[in-house]
Amino acid sequence: MRCNYACGTAEHLSRRTFLQGAAGALGALSFGGMTTAQAAQQLTSAQKRVVVFWLSGGVSQLETWDPKPGTDTGGPLQAIPTSVPGVHISELLPFTAQQMHHLALVRGINTAEDDHGKGAYIMLTGHRPQPGFEYPYIGPALASHLMPADSPLPGCIHVADGASAREASFLGPRFAPVGLAAGSPPNNINLPGGLSAEQDSRRRALRSKLSGRFAQGRRQAETEAYSASYDQAAALIARKDIFDFSSIPDAEQERYGKHDFGKQCLMARKLIENGVTFVKTTHSNYDTHSENFNFHIEQLGEFDRPFATFISDLAERGLLASTLVIVMCEFGRTPRINHLVGRDHWGKAWSIAVGGAGIQGGAVVGKTNDNGTAVVDREVNGGHLFHTYYRAVGLDPTKAFWHEGRPFHKADPKADAITEILA
Amino acid sequence: MKPIRSWVAAGVLSQVAILATIALSSGLSRADAAEPLRVQIDRLISFQTPGYEALAAPVALDDEFMRRVTLDLIGTIPSAADARAFFADADPAKRERLVDRLLATPEYARHMQRTFDVLLMRRLPQKNVPLAEWEKFLRESFAQNKPWDQIVREILTADGSDPAQRGPARFYLDRDGDVNQITRDIGKLFLGVNLECAQCHNHPNIDDYLQSHFYGISAFFVRSFVMTDKEKLVVFAEKADGEATFESVFEIRDKVSKGPRSSGMKLFEGLTISEPKFDKVDDAYAVKPDDKDKTLRPVPRFSRRVKFAEWVASSDNRRFCRTTANRLWALLLGRGIVHPVDLDHTGNPPSHPLLLALLTEELAARQMDLKSVIREIVLSQTYQRASRRNALAGAPEPRDDQFAVAPLKSLTPAQFAWSVMQATGETEAHRIALGEKFSEETLFTTLQGYEQRFTQLFGGEPGRPAESFESTADQVLFLANDPAMMNFLLRKNGNLCDRLLKLPEENPPAIADELYLSTLTRLPTAEDVQDVQNYLAGQTGDPRTACMQELIWAIVTSSEFRFNH
Repeated sequence: MRCNYACGTAEHLSRRTFLQGAAGALGALSFGGMTTAQAAQQLTSAQKRVVVFWLSGGVSQLETWDPKPGTDTGGPLQAIPTSVPGVHISELLPFTAQQMHHLALVRGINTAEDDHGKGAYIMLTGHRPQPGFEYPYIGPALASHLMPADSPLPGCIHVADGASAREASFLGPRFAPVGLAAGSPPNNINLPGGLSAEQDSRRRALRSKLSGRFAQGRRQAETEAYSASYDQAAALIARKDIFDFSSIPDAEQERYGKHDFGKQCLMARKLIENGVTFVKTTHSNYDTHSENFNFHIEQLGEFDRPFATFISDLAERGLLASTLVIVMCEFGRTPRINHLVGRDHWGKAWSIAVGGAGIQGGAVVGKTNDNGTAVVDREVNGGHLFHTYYRAVGLDPTKAFWHEGRPFHKADPKADAITEILA
Repeated sequence: MKPIRSWVAAGVLSQVAILATIALSSGLSRADAAEPLRVQIDRLISFQTPGYEALAAPVALDDEFMRRVTLDLIGTIPSAADARAFFADADPAKRERLVDRLLATPEYARHMQRTFDVLLMRRLPQKNVPLAEWEKFLRESFAQNKPWDQIVREILTADGSDPAQRGPARFYLDRDGDVNQITRDIGKLFLGVNLECAQCHNHPNIDDYLQSHFYGISAFFVRSFVMTDKEKLVVFAEKADGEATFESVFEIRDKVSKGPRSSGMKLFEGLTISEPKFDKVDDAYAVKPDDKDKTLRPVPRFSRRVKFAEWVASSDNRRFCRTTANRLWALLLGRGIVHPVDLDHTGNPPSHPLLLALLTEELAARQMDLKSVIREIVLSQTYQRASRRNALAGAPEPRDDQFAVAPLKSLTPAQFAWSVMQATGETEAHRIALGEKFSEETLFTTLQGYEQRFTQLFGGEPGRPAESFESTADQVLFLANDPAMMNFLLRKNGNLCDRLLKLPEENPPAIADELYLSTLTRLPTAEDVQDVQNYLAGQTGDPRTACMQELIWAIVTSSEFRFNH
């Protein structure tokens, strides 16, 4: 039985996808000839990366990171101990519990927003919505800093759901997310039928020669950008193996689970291992206005193992220390259980989990009252979270983006980082 | 500051007076009235930059001129046959004749429709008015060469209540009648000012842009709203009461605000427009609103919106003429005289004040006849400069705002789509297939799907069209590998691949001629011929066909093709 989407959570995104268009030298970030482990080693010491697990519809904090068993709002489920002494989470996350030493919990979130679209905007941009203007979303915002200038790969990839170029806002299409619809590679990554690789390189060589001749004696900034994007496309084609998820061995699939979300987690791991800067994966749908507990048993039953496997795989490969992992959604769910045994939208007192790069594993910050209806200690909002994300990957959140001569705060200047969970 | 502001505000001080004053003080004699506009343009461009002649590129040869002006006026490249005929024509007035021919085509009207659609509607998605009706309104307006002020008045007075006249109402209705969006866009489009920041406070960096300016304009629209009428049409209605009020968020923050202020209808620092006073609110209506019937469209006796349209979209409003002149120049020369085109203020003066004043006055004198001004601009030497300078090494580089060298303008999505189809002969193959049914309209209908694909991929996001050139890997992957692109290259009756394969194999120069004229509107150089010869050497049968397709592909994806130069 699937959740009926009572309030029609909009998967907002158009199918329109961009690949980022950084001027890239051919094969500059090629790991050809290296084993995955060697490549991973090289990555460890270099760039920072970010993965977002988006639990669409709004997962219940009470059935995940902040259980309140035995209270009027706690519901029928219990809390279990984790790999961090004294920290308990919901019994629906037994595998994740064993990875708790890699994760930190933020239990005092108050975004004061119960609308899906606005809540998502706050959590993905760190700012409250304002008419007529959109801040860059977390993927493009962080990719614009963290992506190596010579990377042939897209900086920002959404596995599973669509990706909208709007998310890049004024940062432009270079940093716009690429969507891999249903796990398929980007459009047109394969040569057309009947054209051999040899023919392709022959026609490209002529294209390049003609373009070079034209550019002589003319202004070249734009012609260079145009030609660079051909090199970049060629480099991307040369690395298209990273989008080939069919070759993943069965045993690997088994460890993650053969359902869609398990596959997405594996795809995310593969993309991160190959140097993609930002990956977002989505698990739907947690909008449980009725039958909250049954839906969470089903949904989290699917989420728990692949997520925990992802964390432990990254840790084993030495990648977790440089990869920031965020598990979040648009808001939490009401402590009060409604007459349909559901929980409704709740932005007032809820939680998220973060881990990896720059994060102190096992830390817990913020506290809600006994039955979870209010934050009683260390209340934070989207602004605090964005300060924290920036700091975790070694960036200064107080510097502004500049666009058309105007500064735009990367993180709300009225907030600051949650230093208690920073390593 | 003050006098300039008030001039900027209301256009009360004639720009001719300014022109004369500056020209006198700079020793430049007043242009001979009988002199064509194009000559005056060239003189003022040269006057502004000492040593301009040494800096400037020569006037372009026939090939570069023909490609450029055809792209700029009808949105595609010329056919090889037209290029051959033009090059062979010995008439000294042939460029003028070419321009006149292009301006008379239905393709010109459609190209202007697309250009002004993107300007006016930012590729916003269709909402309350079918796109086709809006496009038809624009296309027919440009086909009839309606004066620009008339087109704008029709747009700004349209309320959508007449089912036969829905098109122009799209400007308001597909913005949902949002007063802030309308105010901002009207400022940018028709007055040359981006007042976005001034919605909440005086502009922090631009002294000329005040919050009161934003609300002076929004006062004209604050009474208007979108509603659904009896016929289930979404229309733009207007009440007879309601005022624009504002309060600076800076003053609120600093606790110095004296509370919200009310703004009357006015443009910048100009006079406040008065309106008739009625004793009772009911008297102010021709059709009174009815609380019981929400589908009844109220009609006030005095419409602020109509007043705005009449007052602003008029050749008497020099600010409107100046913005229009600047935008036309930017469309053709790749850069505004005031640049960016929506930041006209005293801190950002025009690069060529005399030229902008001249074009402003000419537009007004010509009753805002865009076609006649476009004609003069494209016949100026300034427009016709080559894109390449034959400068000595170490010679100073001209700046973009000196207009000494033709800019590289990236093709718009529509120009790119139709040029690729013209070059590969897709257009020609369909013209042949359509036979007697061929017309601009039927050809467009047949091939518009391809234009849409290019727009989707190269046009930016709806509501936020691409402003500067960016090339992304997904665009390149489309050009390189997409089945639609590959389909253009396949041999079809009468297309380029077909024509090239029919030429004698032993005559590579003839093949190169046809290939280059069809794609780049020029004859190949000796190097180009050598490239073609090498590429085809020893190839026969299917491999030869494949090589021919690769050659065509390499040219239509080259920089020379991607830019209008």
